Amino acid sequence: MKSSEVPGFRPRLKVLNREQVLAIHSAALEILEKTGFKMEHPGALRMLLNAGCKVSGQDWVRLPVKLVEDALRSAPRQIDLYDQKGNKTMPLVNGNYFYGTGSDATFTVDIETGQRRRSTLKDAANFARLIDGLENMDFAMSMSNPVDAPIEDIYVYVFAEMIKNTNKPIVCIADSGRDIAKIYQIACQVVGSEEALQQKPFILNYSEAISPLRFPENVMERLIFCAEKKIPVCLPSGSNAGGGAPITLAGAMALGIAENLIGLVVHQLAGKGSPFLFGPNVSTLDMKSTIVSYGCPEWSLTQAALADMRDELYGLPIWAYAGATDAKLMDAQAGAEAMFSIVTAMLSRANLIHDVGFLEYGSTSSLEMVTMANELVAMSRFFTAGITVNEETMALEAIERVATGAPGSIFLMDDHTFEHFMQAQFLPKLLDRSRYDSWEQSGSFDLYKRCNIEAKRILSEQQVEPKSTEVLKGIEQILQMR
Amino acid sequence: MNDFKALSEAVNKGDNKTALVEVQKSLDAGSSAEEILNKGLITAMNEVGDKFSKGLIFVPQMLRSAKTMQECTNLLQPFFQEGDITSKGKVLIGTVKGDLHDIGKNLVSMMLEGAGFTITDLGVDIPPEKFVEKTKEVKPDIIGLSALLSTTMPAMAQTIEALQKAGLRDQVKIIIGGAPVTEKYAQQINADSYAPDAGSAVNKAKALLGIS
Repeated sequence: MKSSEVPGFRPRLKVLNREQVLAIHSAALEILEKTGFKMEHPGALRMLLNAGCKVSGQDWVRLPVKLVEDALRSAPRQIDLYDQKGNKTMPLVNGNYFYGTGSDATFTVDIETGQRRRSTLKDAANFARLIDGLENMDFAMSMSNPVDAPIEDIYVYVFAEMIKNTNKPIVCIADSGRDIAKIYQIACQVVGSEEALQQKPFILNYSEAISPLRFPENVMERLIFCAEKKIPVCLPSGSNAGGGAPITLAGAMALGIAENLIGLVVHQLAGKGSPFLFGPNVSTLDMKSTIVSYGCPEWSLTQAALADMRDELYGLPIWAYAGATDAKLMDAQAGAEAMFSIVTAMLSRANLIHDVGFLEYGSTSSLEMVTMANELVAMSRFFTAGITVNEETMALEAIERVATGAPGSIFLMDDHTFEHFMQAQFLPKLLDRSRYDSWEQSGSFDLYKRCNIEAKRILSEQQVEPKSTEVLKGIEQILQMR
Repeated sequence: MNDFKALSEAVNKGDNKTALVEVQKSLDAGSSAEEILNKGLITAMNEVGDKFSKGLIFVPQMLRSAKTMQECTNLLQPFFQEGDITSKGKVLIGTVKGDLHDIGKNLVSMMLEGAGFTITDLGVDIPPEKFVEKTKEVKPDIIGLSALLSTTMPAMAQTIEALQKAGLRDQVKIIIGGAPVTEKYAQQINADSYAPDAGSAVNKAKALLGIS
């Protein structure tokens, strides 16, 4: 008998209604038209002026709504990121979501000693290698602000380490037009040519404007470079509630979205149709410590709201964060905060989700934390897939067989169980469900320790397909350029 | 005998209207401006600072208190006598060259001001030469350098070198701060102190000048 599928539903989080979406959008437009912004890049200023913006004083710009509409129309609705071997692994569109690490942590928790220490280039290498070996991590970021790289080329050096240690897509950062050009050169060598990189981009540049409403020259230099070269880019400002933005989330979102729309307009003027990943970072500034929180519910809430705005209005794939914490150790707080952001980001279908594995509000990286998050993503994925309802999964025949079968009939013995258990259940690897005695016998390890062991195993066993000697030589030459 | 209890309470609450009324009352009752400042306002702000560092109040409450104190000090300004000690010390502060971030630096300025320091805030993206020039002009006791980006941290070292070359290094204490900055880095670049947050910046500044 052919099984009939019941129309499925996949759990989906909504936090804004249409009226709220439109109200926040209108507020963002009002900021652009009435308040204006500071554009410190002369070329971008000229482009905006030519496009019909009003400039007052030296660099204060007011931007008409029409330009926003044009930019939203010309920016692609889908951004495809490829791995370094040319496979399309990250189609950023619709309900697709992808997780990866973050950039620039000053410290790391040493995997051998458990001590917090300054990050090094070797850490950038290790994080990339770990990402390469984790099935639920889709892209790499450096996770390191290495103390042992020349500071003017720090982003080129961590990029080179990532290239050597993973073949997954890379989200990279840069300081100015100078180092992004070097990173671009390396990326072109990896795939063979500029055209190849344009056709199958494996890098996405992350850059930040300064909230409120300030667009520095070096930031715009990178944005324009990427627009011209058609390298996917995002430009979330730090419109954190209470810090760069007002304390109330609606206002912080309006400001962050306004800043993103400015970036989008300049970007589309510089390279019409080039890929732009939408979305501000709207976390909160903690009112006691003044850190920007990486474990707060606010950030998850604002990015869920942004996902709603994408669906109702913008249509562009969005940038998000998850799997991070304000805790200093990978403790219970870290687990709680990581899971909260991972599952909500997925349920709201944020598209590119970074910062997985950060401790200490993004200042410290942890290989164990990334390893744990990999499993939390798997757990969330299971939940988000919903319940498959059809004749096969309703299992009426199995129920009848067991209920009316010979004495001793149990579901565990039934063929239906054997055939389905791999898909029907979430099968954890690191989350411990063992019975007490066997847990004790195998060392009484907590999750941190199990993640430590697993991370070490992956680092020693993961075979990363190496780059050709030619590419490696090219990278060395670029690193030597001053 | 004026115990400034009502004034202290108003500063603690950040109730500027009541605080201004209380300052005026004290002046009318014959208290000197210096006494109102030191026994009233600064003592109250020390309490506020203490509560803040113990995590009993939040940043906006602390800043409201600092703002209240500022308004009161403005009211007192015409009444200070020559020789009155009205400042804990002079602080020159700025975000270093290449860095345009100012939230942290502004917060530190506000808190130092609340603690009784006189602040000259140069703003953001300040080249070493500017720090040198202003140091000659303002003659600060302390220079505060801020950087958010690891790529602009070297500008802190350059600023300190420039002060050294200009022969000014020994006349000032230097405190640095910002997200990527560490104690070790402060030692490396010959700064006197490092403050991980705005609250501790006040304590470090006081410690450097040997005041409580």
